[in-house]
Amino acid sequence: MLLPKFQYHEPKALDEALTLMGEIGEEASVLAGGTDLLVNMKTGKTAPGHVVSLSRIEELRGVGRQQGTLTLGACVTAGELKEQEQIQAEFNGLCQSAGSLGSPLIRNLATVGGNIVTARPAADLPPSLMAYGASLLLKKKDGERLLPLETFFKGPGQTRIEPEEILCAVILKEPPPYSGGGYVKLGVRRALEISLVNVAAFVALDGPSGPIKEARIVLGAVAPVPLRAPSAEAVLMGEKPGDEVFEKAGEAAAKDSKPIDDFRASAEYRRDMVKVLTRRALKLAYEEAKLREWRRWK
Amino acid sequence: MKTLITLNVNGRARDLAVEPNRTLLDVLRQDLELTGTKRGCDLGECGSCTVILNGKPVNSCLVLAVQANGAEILTIEGLAGPSGLHPVQQAFVDKGAIQCGFCTPGMILSATHLLQKNPKPSEEEIRTALSGNLCRCTGYQKIVEAVQSVGERDQG
Repeated sequence: MLLPKFQYHEPKALDEALTLMGEIGEEASVLAGGTDLLVNMKTGKTAPGHVVSLSRIEELRGVGRQQGTLTLGACVTAGELKEQEQIQAEFNGLCQSAGSLGSPLIRNLATVGGNIVTARPAADLPPSLMAYGASLLLKKKDGERLLPLETFFKGPGQTRIEPEEILCAVILKEPPPYSGGGYVKLGVRRALEISLVNVAAFVALDGPSGPIKEARIVLGAVAPVPLRAPSAEAVLMGEKPGDEVFEKAGEAAAKDSKPIDDFRASAEYRRDMVKVLTRRALKLAYEEAKLREWRRWK
Repeated sequence: MKTLITLNVNGRARDLAVEPNRTLLDVLRQDLELTGTKRGCDLGECGSCTVILNGKPVNSCLVLAVQANGAEILTIEGLAGPSGLHPVQQAFVDKGAIQCGFCTPGMILSATHLLQKNPKPSEEEIRTALSGNLCRCTGYQKIVEAVQSVGERDQG
């Protein structure tokens, strides 16, 4: 398949890229991993006049930790997320979602920033990033802003990013003690698969064995954007963690979801699976909370 | 407008002038005549275009040649040494892990990368590492056995 012609830009520094986007942002597509943009260009879905590649900008590729926050450069790949030891130790739910994305070959190209700005309702990373309370650092030539990921999506493929802006980093607060996250994806096969449903969960406990003092559940592929499940979270608050309350939270999450019928699955099936996956994601989150605590004392 | 780039392919620096809308896959096959890297779906689904780019296996159909400027690239042609086939290639031959052969270059490169990181992988780890490479002859069992046999041989 031929790619349509375009003018190619390869800025070496972020400042240069931001200036460029200020000039041509309306006609430009940003190229990061290319696993989405190049496919859409090959299949004729988009034909940008300009392509601005971020692949030479070192400052977008790093993982940094300071003052209780973890900063992921927008061009960190899903493969790097999955393999990074500090992310495995503190954000296991994020590793699980990174490991569910595409295939090993795709993960070596696809970036965290790309998986966010493409705003696909079934994407793997946004639900778990939202469960960990992530914020986005968006920059343009004459300014920057920090936006909670939760408010970033408007609909399938639609976000609050402005044409001249570049998503530069994803910022995560280090999770408190006695907390953990989990991610579960349901697809027909295990690789190169679009989620039928995915669920990310985060719980923080008030001490080693509960009760739950903070809970976030995010449902993917059951609404136009990744969806918080407020009534499921309310079920969990103040309760001791365990199978019984996780089951009830699953039932509440199913009611919170707004799935549609399509060729991949019926809405009814998706709603049922929200219940099952929420229970499993909570179990994973609770297990991670226990494991992190155990590591702290070891 | 063409851009001048250098690709370090199989240990050799290759200077090229390419249009920015050409993929690494097309430049490898058409300009460098390295046709061992196959074009299957051309959309990142099948893995037949797998190459090792700066130490990591990727779909070369989803990388622009200009993005690979300066990169180290290993294709299937660069795997065999002066003394003959690479152990993974030999294992595929010995175990009958090749049917039509179209997926084989990608399978072998993904498997070689896995074995470098993890010399004795479990079946599960092998299947995960190869999950981006499709075999439409569905000869997966023998492919997994071939990769396992390399791990076992190195152990003994």
